[in-house]
Amino acid sequence: MNRREALAKATLLLGAALSGPTLMAMGRWENAIGTTVRDKLNLSNLQKQIIAEVAELILPRTDTVGAKDVGVPAFIEMMINDCYQSPEHRSFMAGVVELEGMKFLDMSATQKTDTLKQVEQKAKEQMKAYNAQTIKFGDNQDLESMNAVKMGLPFWRLIKELTLLGYYTSEGGTKASFDYVPNPGKFELTKLKPGQKTIVY
Amino acid sequence: MANLNTDAIKSRTFDAIVIGSGMSGGWAAKELTGKGLKTLVLERGREVKHVVDYPTAQLHPWELPNRGQMRYGVNEANPIVSKCYAFGEATEQFFVKDAEHPYVQEKPFDWIRGYQTGGKSLLWARQTQRWSAFDFEGPARDGFAVDWPIRYDDLAPWYSYVEKFAGISGNRDGLPQLPDGEFLPPHEMNCVEQYFSESMAKAYGGARPIIIGRCAHITKPEPIHLEQGRSRCAQRTLCERGCPLGGYFSSNASTLPWAAKTGKMTLRPHSVVHSIIYDEKKQKAVGVRVIDSNTKEMEEYFAKIIFVNAAALNTNLILLNSTSNRFPNGLGNDSGLLGKFVAFHNYRAGINAEYEGYLDKTTEGNRPNSAYIPRFRNLLKQETDFLRGYAAGFGAYRGQSDNRSGWGEDLKTGILKPKLNDHWGVGSHMMGETIPKESNYVALDKDQRDPWGIPQLRISVDYDENDVKMTKDFFEQMTEMYTKAGFKNIRTYDSNRTPGLDIHEMGGVRMGRDPKTSLLNGWNQLHQCKNVFVTDGACMTSTSTQNPSLTYMAFTARAADYAVSELKKKNL
Repeated sequence: MNRREALAKATLLLGAALSGPTLMAMGRWENAIGTTVRDKLNLSNLQKQIIAEVAELILPRTDTVGAKDVGVPAFIEMMINDCYQSPEHRSFMAGVVELEGMKFLDMSATQKTDTLKQVEQKAKEQMKAYNAQTIKFGDNQDLESMNAVKMGLPFWRLIKELTLLGYYTSEGGTKASFDYVPNPGKFELTKLKPGQKTIVY
Repeated sequence: MANLNTDAIKSRTFDAIVIGSGMSGGWAAKELTGKGLKTLVLERGREVKHVVDYPTAQLHPWELPNRGQMRYGVNEANPIVSKCYAFGEATEQFFVKDAEHPYVQEKPFDWIRGYQTGGKSLLWARQTQRWSAFDFEGPARDGFAVDWPIRYDDLAPWYSYVEKFAGISGNRDGLPQLPDGEFLPPHEMNCVEQYFSESMAKAYGGARPIIIGRCAHITKPEPIHLEQGRSRCAQRTLCERGCPLGGYFSSNASTLPWAAKTGKMTLRPHSVVHSIIYDEKKQKAVGVRVIDSNTKEMEEYFAKIIFVNAAALNTNLILLNSTSNRFPNGLGNDSGLLGKFVAFHNYRAGINAEYEGYLDKTTEGNRPNSAYIPRFRNLLKQETDFLRGYAAGFGAYRGQSDNRSGWGEDLKTGILKPKLNDHWGVGSHMMGETIPKESNYVALDKDQRDPWGIPQLRISVDYDENDVKMTKDFFEQMTEMYTKAGFKNIRTYDSNRTPGLDIHEMGGVRMGRDPKTSLLNGWNQLHQCKNVFVTDGACMTSTSTQNPSLTYMAFTARAADYAVSELKKKNL
């Protein structure tokens, strides 16, 4: 069986928010299906709006910035184009086209959320069908694998993880959410402090 | 015309030539220029100037175009270098891409290279443990390779010399198997690392110490570091991007600018050394042939002494390619051993577990270092069915997990309020000594050439039975130690990774006492061509378990001192 395998760093910090299968989809895997030349995503304005809407539903503007505020929709498109392989291009586009066919943008807020919950549920079943597995491998490392399939990781996996990655590594998302300390200058034990923001470096 | 030629030759004549500007080449440049020698430093790659040529060093996470992920196609096109832990979006500019310098893998070997001024000193893991008497006496005691022509005491003052300048942090642990050095203040072990250390001290009566690693980071600058323009390490742990503070030692931050300041150094980038020129009448080397990687034209440069610091395997390649009537099989290679007895470090094994203590604590900040378990196996006497032993890195960390299942506000909350794990993770990786063997070798390929018309290097290096037994012993001993410490859920893994990925390849031009069984003498001089010195990883007779860079630095400073004194005595 043709399986894709990837060593993925487990997610200690949000800066590394991608799960193993997503890293696999980006090329850190063995048994390559082939490195065919890929077309860029050809997204209509409507489809771009759908991506933006889904991202904003995942991480809406609350008392902190939302996905749209920090440029997540453009980030998702760029990442799929720059970093992902053909099977994921196909599955990502299939997901967008499916929502388009359902007239997603015309739905009420509740309908939108219900629809996405169904999409999420379907993605879970697909991952099971792809025989996705995780084995604890090293320190902070998992060996993850799944069957190589023509359609790559489900649309939902891609858009949710990329929304999280894009948001929590953006300047606005980072500063609104964490205590960003690029020059820690130390390594020491701390007692747990209630209400302490997560520190990212 | 005759005059013009004489002038041209004069402009290409120096007191010394240093091939390579990395870890050891930088030291050769500093020492030789410091002693007044007009020195040409040849670097095959481009010039990377400290600070100004570190384009990613100051980028915030959101300023990296792909936020740290690699663009599609890069890893696919680079199956070798993309395996290196340090290769990534922010560091790829300092690594040689697979296609740039092809080589022949007679057996699988991941050859990781950095072709720029500073070489791999920009990218190294910065661990700087001294070698000990046990290491230099190892081959003689255990009957492998050949006896080192020197002992620890010969090198000890030179360790001190390079440590003071480079800036090495560490704790004075008083261990004969890991001698103390000239240390800046040490990093600290966290509570679980400290606990493991104390618990093992009790369990093994001091025979298995666990200490904080010694590393080339300035924890508290001395005047000599400030004079280099370097400052205290900010513990950003973004080291492989190049450090604008000079917080860790690199040739770029330290030895090269120091050498430049003397006004005696000429640094020539884009200079691929083809071979060393041997003069049959003078019976010594008189210069080097260089291929300019931009013009592909060959030029010759001349000097009284030549230091070969091209990094272990490229040093082998240059010497093998330096043929003459006198040395048809490579410079100084009457013994036929050039390129043979290559060895590396066995990094294939690791062991992880969990500890359910100190749950009221976590850590804050970053540490560009880890705890270290010096070699304890076969140390005082042979006690197993394999030779030598292993050191190990050790670290404990408090992980946390967040809840990413929700939507909207709930999702944000789930991520902003992560829960600390109900255990600490602990992990250790093995650093095993491998035994140099004649069957582990590099040679010139007879047919295939690289883009500069130089024969490709054919690499044939593999694990052996000793490595397999040692790996098994590491699992057994560490499992026992983890169990005694009360660690739970112990998991071992053998990645069986390809040699080379340790980036500790050594040997091929080994030191020894006898020209019949070695290439270099106790001063790193070619036995049969005394004005050529090899002080990078190629000179190593055995590998020890410790990270080797500090030892290359000490060898280089010692050999440069000797070379200049011999030059003054007109012996070279």
